[in-house]
Amino acid sequence: MFDPYYLQQLAIGLSQGVIYALMAIGFTLIFGVLNVVNFAHGEIYTLGAFVGLLVITALAPPLLVVVLVVAAVGAAFGVGLERIAFKPFRRFSDEASLKSRAMRESTLMSSLAVSIVAREGLELAFGSQMQTLPFDQLINKPIALGPITIVTGDVIIFAVAAVMLIGLQWLLTRTRVGLAIRAVSANPLGAKYVGIDTDRTIILTFAIGSMMGAAAGVLVGLYYGAIFPAMGFVPGIKAFVAMVMGGLSSIPGAVICALLLGLSEGLATTFISSNWADMVAYGFLIVTLIFFPQGLFGAGRERV
Amino acid sequence: MSALIEIDHLTRRFGGLLAVDDVSTAVAPGELVGLIGPNGAGKTTLFNLISGFTPPTSGTVRFKGEAIRGLKPHQIAGRGLSRTFQNLRIFPNMSVFDNVSVGAVGAMGQSALGAVFGGRRRSDAITARTFEALERVGLTAQAHELAANLSYGRRKYLEIARALAMKPDLLILDEPAAGLDDSETAELARFIRTLNGEGLAIMLVEHDMNLVMGICSRVVVLASGRKIADAAPAEVRADPAVLEAYLGVEA
Repeated sequence: MFDPYYLQQLAIGLSQGVIYALMAIGFTLIFGVLNVVNFAHGEIYTLGAFVGLLVITALAPPLLVVVLVVAAVGAAFGVGLERIAFKPFRRFSDEASLKSRAMRESTLMSSLAVSIVAREGLELAFGSQMQTLPFDQLINKPIALGPITIVTGDVIIFAVAAVMLIGLQWLLTRTRVGLAIRAVSANPLGAKYVGIDTDRTIILTFAIGSMMGAAAGVLVGLYYGAIFPAMGFVPGIKAFVAMVMGGLSSIPGAVICALLLGLSEGLATTFISSNWADMVAYGFLIVTLIFFPQGLFGAGRERV
Repeated sequence: MSALIEIDHLTRRFGGLLAVDDVSTAVAPGELVGLIGPNGAGKTTLFNLISGFTPPTSGTVRFKGEAIRGLKPHQIAGRGLSRTFQNLRIFPNMSVFDNVSVGAVGAMGQSALGAVFGGRRRSDAITARTFEALERVGLTAQAHELAANLSYGRRKYLEIARALAMKPDLLILDEPAAGLDDSETAELARFIRTLNGEGLAIMLVEHDMNLVMGICSRVVVLASGRKIADAAPAEVRADPAVLEAYLGVEA
């Protein structure tokens, strides 16, 4: 009665959603929770994939080692990114600069610039075409689940996304570092005067978020088997959409919206055509912004 | 008794404007000192110099005998100097408890690994400090409410509690009575006196003359960046230079 084909499409959509979610978690931590406009997250993801390629071709270590090495390099990239594109704009900490939107949002341009330089740099080094990852390292061994088939990567990516989500929620709500991150994002000056090292808190947040972004890049690379310098762009946009739909500061909200996006794209591909998939995703964004300007899970960020 | 904070020939120039001009004064441990002056007198700049927010053009600030030049605001705060703000700087989306525990965390160190893996004992100490500070300002019952849901007056106490959670040696209150009605101001005055009575040194910047004159043991008056008086309230009230600065007439 119910065609397993549709179930299979749902599974594909869901796995796409989990991939978006993987990207959206680190993105939302920096952009939404820390309240810093960062458009270079997609390139951290791409860099993570390329570092993974280098590590795999040089040493061919087990997957866990690859992910850990990439995460460590990603954290370093995050610290570098913060230093180049964000710290210079925190030089001025007087009231007027702190209140200036231009000052806060100038990192939109600087992070975009870093992302373009990183992407072009990768193209110079590797060329713009697809790079294939060694076949035996890929995470696409099929697993049959009754009438539908998923691959090992679906399970791994789901597990990693779940660990990241739970880990971050724990970090943000249960630890002193998380408390400092939330305080700095709410009011940097207030945090400073009660002894919080705002610079260090921001750097640490970038390190954590970028670590997750880079790990996401290598996992998705291993999932699809091919990587290329512009691969971070589309997931970056989707993560952004998921974050906005989820209410900016809510990581669980962003994850749920990323899953919704993936599912709706899967359904659009099934019932309409794959050309309409993006249309549906952005349609969702527009509908959300019209009817729920605070996002679906937004706490309503009140400014005092 | 040596001074808790010594301000020595402190000057801050912004372009052609001398915002703070050669100001010297000191606060002894346990003292309650008021800082008044007409708008634009340099009170906020002086506070910013003391708390490390703005570097001085010349002069020095010594806190507990150590020069604080070059230290960042959070480092100065960590040494026992905390402050509140004229326009509140609380964390609206966080619970009352979390707001205050940021102060405790700020004072007790926040090494990244220590914070994630740090012992139970330290987090228990932070929780204890937080509840102690909440108790002081009477916000224990609202500990789990969002800070944004508190009334304006209560938020002022929340900010004070956050500063108290640092267990500071010197507390700087920047216009704490702004926006409060008379009975709230009277309550605040009693509270400031109680805190001071327990040995906490307080510097109070305030427009509300009655509040400052009523509770401070000494009042420093700034006008156009210069210190024009530094004496007991009764003396300051009778000082011709102060009258001139406030009323703009030759006394």
